[in-house]
Amino acid sequence: MFVKSHGFHILKPRKREGFNMTQKKKDNLTKVMDYLKHEDPFSKGVAFCPGCGLELLIRFIPQVLGNDIVITGTPSCSAPVLLGQNNQTWHKLSYFGTLMTGAAANATGLARYYRKAGIENTVVCFNGDGTAADIGFGNLSGAAERNEPFIYICYDNEGYMNTGIQKSGTTPFGATTTTTPLGSASKGKNLRRMNLALKMAMHKIPYAATATLSDLDDLAKKLLKAKEAKKRGFAFLHVFAPCTTGWGFAPENTIEVCRRAVKTNYFPLWEAVNGKIRMTKTVKKPKPVTTYTELIKKFAHLSEEDLQILQDDVDYEYCMLGGLSVLEGECQLPVSSED
Amino acid sequence: MSSNKYFKHEGPWSDANDPLMCSDTGDWRTKRPIVDKDKCIFCGFCAIYCPIQVMEMIEESYFSPDLGFCKGCGICAKECPKNAISMMPEGDFKK
Amino acid sequence: MITKAQKKSQIKVITGNAAAAIAAKLARPDVVAAYPITPQTEIIEQISQFHANGEMDCELITVEGENSAMNAVMAASIAGGRVFTATSSWGLVFMYDAILAAAGARAPVVMVNVNRETPGIIAVSSGQQDMISTRDAGWIFLIAEDCQEVLDLVLQAYRLAEDYDIQVPVMVHYDGFYLSYLSEGVNVPFQEDVDKFLSVLKTQPERTKLVPGGKLGCGSHGILLGYLELRHKHMSAMERAKAKFERIDKEYEEIFGRSYGGLVEEYRMDDADAVLVGSGSMCGTIKAVIDEKRAAGVKIGLLKLRMYRPFPSEAMIKALKGKKAIGVVDRSLCFGFKGGPIYTELKAFETQLGGSKMISFIDGIANTDITKINVATMIDMTCDLAAGKDVREVTWVSYPEAQEEGGL
Repeated sequence: MFVKSHGFHILKPRKREGFNMTQKKKDNLTKVMDYLKHEDPFSKGVAFCPGCGLELLIRFIPQVLGNDIVITGTPSCSAPVLLGQNNQTWHKLSYFGTLMTGAAANATGLARYYRKAGIENTVVCFNGDGTAADIGFGNLSGAAERNEPFIYICYDNEGYMNTGIQKSGTTPFGATTTTTPLGSASKGKNLRRMNLALKMAMHKIPYAATATLSDLDDLAKKLLKAKEAKKRGFAFLHVFAPCTTGWGFAPENTIEVCRRAVKTNYFPLWEAVNGKIRMTKTVKKPKPVTTYTELIKKFAHLSEEDLQILQDDVDYEYCMLGGLSVLEGECQLPVSSED
Repeated sequence: MSSNKYFKHEGPWSDANDPLMCSDTGDWRTKRPIVDKDKCIFCGFCAIYCPIQVMEMIEESYFSPDLGFCKGCGICAKECPKNAISMMPEGDFKK
Repeated sequence: MITKAQKKSQIKVITGNAAAAIAAKLARPDVVAAYPITPQTEIIEQISQFHANGEMDCELITVEGENSAMNAVMAASIAGGRVFTATSSWGLVFMYDAILAAAGARAPVVMVNVNRETPGIIAVSSGQQDMISTRDAGWIFLIAEDCQEVLDLVLQAYRLAEDYDIQVPVMVHYDGFYLSYLSEGVNVPFQEDVDKFLSVLKTQPERTKLVPGGKLGCGSHGILLGYLELRHKHMSAMERAKAKFERIDKEYEEIFGRSYGGLVEEYRMDDADAVLVGSGSMCGTIKAVIDEKRAAGVKIGLLKLRMYRPFPSEAMIKALKGKKAIGVVDRSLCFGFKGGPIYTELKAFETQLGGSKMISFIDGIANTDITKINVATMIDMTCDLAAGKDVREVTWVSYPEAQEEGGL
């Protein structure tokens, strides 16, 4: 269903610099602004829910990476905005609307042709967790294995949201969705979520990282690192983007939900350069996962026992991550045969 | 060749050289952010966290939302470190 | 095939697969996707070797599945590149969503499909069921009879797909096992002649491409009449492909000295009362048996179908009109119908044939050979029909049980 359009809108560039500011106020301005070097190419009035994490992310990326990226999108929450309607479109970017099954393969084709033709490019393959972790995982893994030169960004809202909140591979334990609803025989999803970002790091690609919307300077840095790494091959970014409609929290809490996900180690922030994992934000005293779940209705029905299962899983994942990052550091990689 | 009434090309191409589509999302609001310009320290958190990026710099001194498109999500009010933004019911502003 | 003498030529004894690989090399594609499947594997092996030897300056993507193969070449094509890939049966249906997407996006992809039986029953044997399973995808389908035609059709496919008036992906089919692994003498064109043949495309307007910063996006939603407008453009382009293909056949003859007659090839049909309609490698056998029958005084001819989609109804009606009996040989089944698929499609035009009677032969499924004896049987039955006798409508030539009492 599309919101009735009230005519056409010529985008005005937003003012960000070039006027007098008191030094005090200049000093206060968040450093994130420095990363937003390009204008937001999207129309201001687009159909995302109020407070949508994906909307913030999709506007953020071209402001950091530039308006000459070629972005690919699939049927998903991003599709009604990323893809046009007949001749008309909602944004100024070059895009390619693709199939979920072949998203990474499409991006491969684009990146490879541009390389052959010597055309400067940044191909951003932009997909939700449904495409990245489920239906499109095969070709994502294939593209990573072949070290294809593009950036794959997965926005993780932990479910198939555009079709009305269904469970995906990244939906966490205990979450209610319409395919894991509450009932006398069910307490929500009874399986743990899979760790997509770690799987991608294990492909030993030039760059893999997790990021979220509460730490925007971290996200911006990682976007730029991904763009740099693209010169050496495949870059993967996993961005935690909460869904106010699907998860059941007030729209104003979107950023706070991200923040608490990081503070409880539910979503740790790390990066892996050629498979070497390094935490980019170490949480000294992680809060219990209930600090995160208490904000979100999809967890509201969980008993103490269930919450402990979730806590154990969060701890396990973090332990794995920590162990790997230590192990990578200790691993003596064989030196070149020329020595 | 067939007509080019809805599409300008043979295939399913859209053209951003033409004016972009835009919805009247300001119409969605049930609450409106009001900025207390004296409390505003110009940190810009409201601007960077706004999903629509509608916060504009006013007189080099404070931020204010473009009400044509603000959906009233309340993230700006929640994230402001100085509580300079309050979400007021949209109904208060109807004529 | 009509051949004019050429100044110089190089005859190589190569398989159908090698012919396809060489044609791909000569076309100078930018991006090639490679995934193996019997009976196509030799194509991508040869291309990989050409690439490794530095003989092919292309991006070779060794994909992890056929679905990715089609997605990758479709995207590369939309970005402006010339592409190539090859597959068969199982791979063809695995990439079905991407095949539909490529056609809808009007990406000028050229692909070789080596015919093999589709999944459902596990078989590593030839049949045209894979072609039939994808006939409504909106692609142009061409069918080759021998290894020479494989090579020639792949080159012509580029001229057709990338033509500014067409911009529809083209699939070249040929029978697995019978042509893929069969070695024949093939006149291999010289690179400069192929360059000349394809250079015509550079004189045309440039098609729409996906360019970084170009502000155009491919894959916009088709809304209501916009959707219909795109479909209408696609259907119109397919209609235009018929005349375009005939012209390309003639231009090919001018440069390379070989013509196949265009959309269909008529073999000894002028005074024939009975005609067989066939496609692919079976035509070689049919022509040989027709020569024997003709020597014995039987007036029999063959209409060889070269373009299958768009269905060249006008050319077929023109060739078949007034013939007393037509026996259509299908190397596949049409589920839910008694006769074969091509028979069923031609039957839709029966009223325009001026009273010709039609019967259906189903043979050559899963490597059950279409032998000379089988062809002789088909000819006899069609001639009986031409003589006014009562003849069964559908015959599974190699499987007599189908004809038993209570059968189909």
